[in-house]
Amino acid sequence: MDLSVMIVVPVVGLGIAGLLLQAVALRAALRRRGDDPVEEQAWPPVSILKPLSGLDDNLFGNLESFCRLDYPAYEIIFCLESPNDPALAVARKVRDRNPRTPVSILVSRSSEGKNPKVRNMRAGYSAARHDILLVSDSNVVVDPAYLKATVRPLLAPGVGLVTNPIRGCGGRSVGSVLENLHLNTFVAGGTAFLFGILRLPCVVGKSMLFRKSGLEQIGGLRAFRDVLAEDYVIGREFHRAGQRVVLAPHPVTNVNIYGGTKRFLSRHSRWGKLRRRLGGPRYLAELIGNPVFVAACAAAARPGSRSLALLGAAAGAAALCAAWKSRLLDARMPLPLCLLAPVKDLVIGALWFVPLVSMRVAWRGHRLHVGPDTRVVAPGSTGEWLRPRLPAFLRTRTA
Amino acid sequence: MNTERSSAAAPLLCDFHIHTRFSDGQLELAAVVDLFGQAGFDAISITDHVATRETAIGWVARGLRLSVTERTFDTYLAAVREEARRALETYGMLVIPGVEITKDYLNADLSAHLLLIDIQEYVCASWGYERIFEAARAQDALVIACHPHHMSARTDRNTLYFWNNRQHFAPHIDAWEIANRDDVFGAVGLKKYPYVASSDFHRPRHLYSWKTLLSCGRNVGEIKRCLRENRGVAITLFRN
Repeated sequence: MDLSVMIVVPVVGLGIAGLLLQAVALRAALRRRGDDPVEEQAWPPVSILKPLSGLDDNLFGNLESFCRLDYPAYEIIFCLESPNDPALAVARKVRDRNPRTPVSILVSRSSEGKNPKVRNMRAGYSAARHDILLVSDSNVVVDPAYLKATVRPLLAPGVGLVTNPIRGCGGRSVGSVLENLHLNTFVAGGTAFLFGILRLPCVVGKSMLFRKSGLEQIGGLRAFRDVLAEDYVIGREFHRAGQRVVLAPHPVTNVNIYGGTKRFLSRHSRWGKLRRRLGGPRYLAELIGNPVFVAACAAAARPGSRSLALLGAAAGAAALCAAWKSRLLDARMPLPLCLLAPVKDLVIGALWFVPLVSMRVAWRGHRLHVGPDTRVVAPGSTGEWLRPRLPAFLRTRTA
Repeated sequence: MNTERSSAAAPLLCDFHIHTRFSDGQLELAAVVDLFGQAGFDAISITDHVATRETAIGWVARGLRLSVTERTFDTYLAAVREEARRALETYGMLVIPGVEITKDYLNADLSAHLLLIDIQEYVCASWGYERIFEAARAQDALVIACHPHHMSARTDRNTLYFWNNRQHFAPHIDAWEIANRDDVFGAVGLKKYPYVASSDFHRPRHLYSWKTLLSCGRNVGEIKRCLRENRGVAITLFRN
């Protein structure tokens, strides 16, 4: 047997096994039970921080869903950096239509910190009245049972932070379908795999619940003001401080309806850059964990019936796992769209190389340079070697 | 730090020129309402095309079902009213039924598009302008001349008839579009005509375009009065 086949077949097999393990881990995470029942009066009050910046798909519905939580005592703080932000009108409407929910809107511009989300949250963090804080992105919608399901694990001894799996719903454009597929497969599966099998905390900022006093013990919000992947790093620091970081068995929904392909590419090239900075050499595992891309490269290098059969097997496994994970997450993704999972994996495989070339990211109107541990650094100090040597037209395309 | 206490003084964010799949829009009516409601709009008008039978372009549009016709008007109006109820309940947003009377000729100097806002009965695009204005007046519909000047967009055709004959038509027109999607018509401002800005929405990305801000009460009567008097009207480029 040829040497390349001896390498490619086991790598693709490993990737397929990884996809299956992710699905198994996700199933286990979503079915996890065993937390003690909590009496109604024992639920601690919660402050919900929602940093807003621009309009997300379904923004009104996303924000209003937090006014309809089945939870005895909580407040919502919408934080914005500019009075001209179009999200302000939406936040006002949500507040006015839900007078029974304590909703505050804070508009403040701070120059402290280079992470725009952390900077935006600082005023809300100071104004929060309760010790338990829920940081929740503006692009998620939740059901009424969400807060109890998320607070419950925090009440167990030793737990410092609780996060939730993410599912993507609502795609009507190519970009949003790819986005939802990626959230339901790689992101949800990968998070469950890291939590459940590798026992590593992998916190995604769409939903993070912790005690303010706990965060203060690891430096407070100010310690993460220059860190771009503040969610992951906060989780890691909780873990290092000896507090458990837990994945709640209740997913939050990220509604992506009209987003274009450009937004999908930009978001995942950004996330890839953050993961490369955080993972270092482990970033290579992502490529191995993408059997469709590996098999496609092998088929392109040595076309033939065997390589095509291998590609077909990898694509079939990716589509099946996508359908399974979407079903586990109740993402309401039509089965035919799951057949696009291999196409998405090819695109993501190509995007894997971008962080090797560039460490610049564009995020909600900000252009930032990602340094070690995802700290925002000055241009030119990101340690890029290849990008400055590229021709100008390629340099602009990798930003 | 500024803590927002009340939004009572905030102007209404409005768009009075929106198409759905009832004519040549990309989204169905409910999706359009959701898109604008989710983005925090206070008032919108659904204005699908009513194409004339006088011209080949109009015939083609009607044949391809890119136009509301006398046969589909009642269904259209009922659907808009149903969505208006839902939008008010779900988002607190007013949805006003309207149409865009569409007279397209090969010659841009003869072409004209006219929005009739808060329409109750069918108005035929093949009628003469005087009769159309009369029908609009009888229903107390707001009359807006849309994209009256030269447009920059390559895919749109100019509709210059009202502007070329503005002295004759100005008394019949309640407001002129001073901005349409990405175009701004400075001449409308120079002539001091009552103005309005709208997206001419056909697809989701058109949400981000010129819009109207109105300082008035949140009901159809107040909105029409505000636009006719053209006091408390501002335009804004709605960007994300």
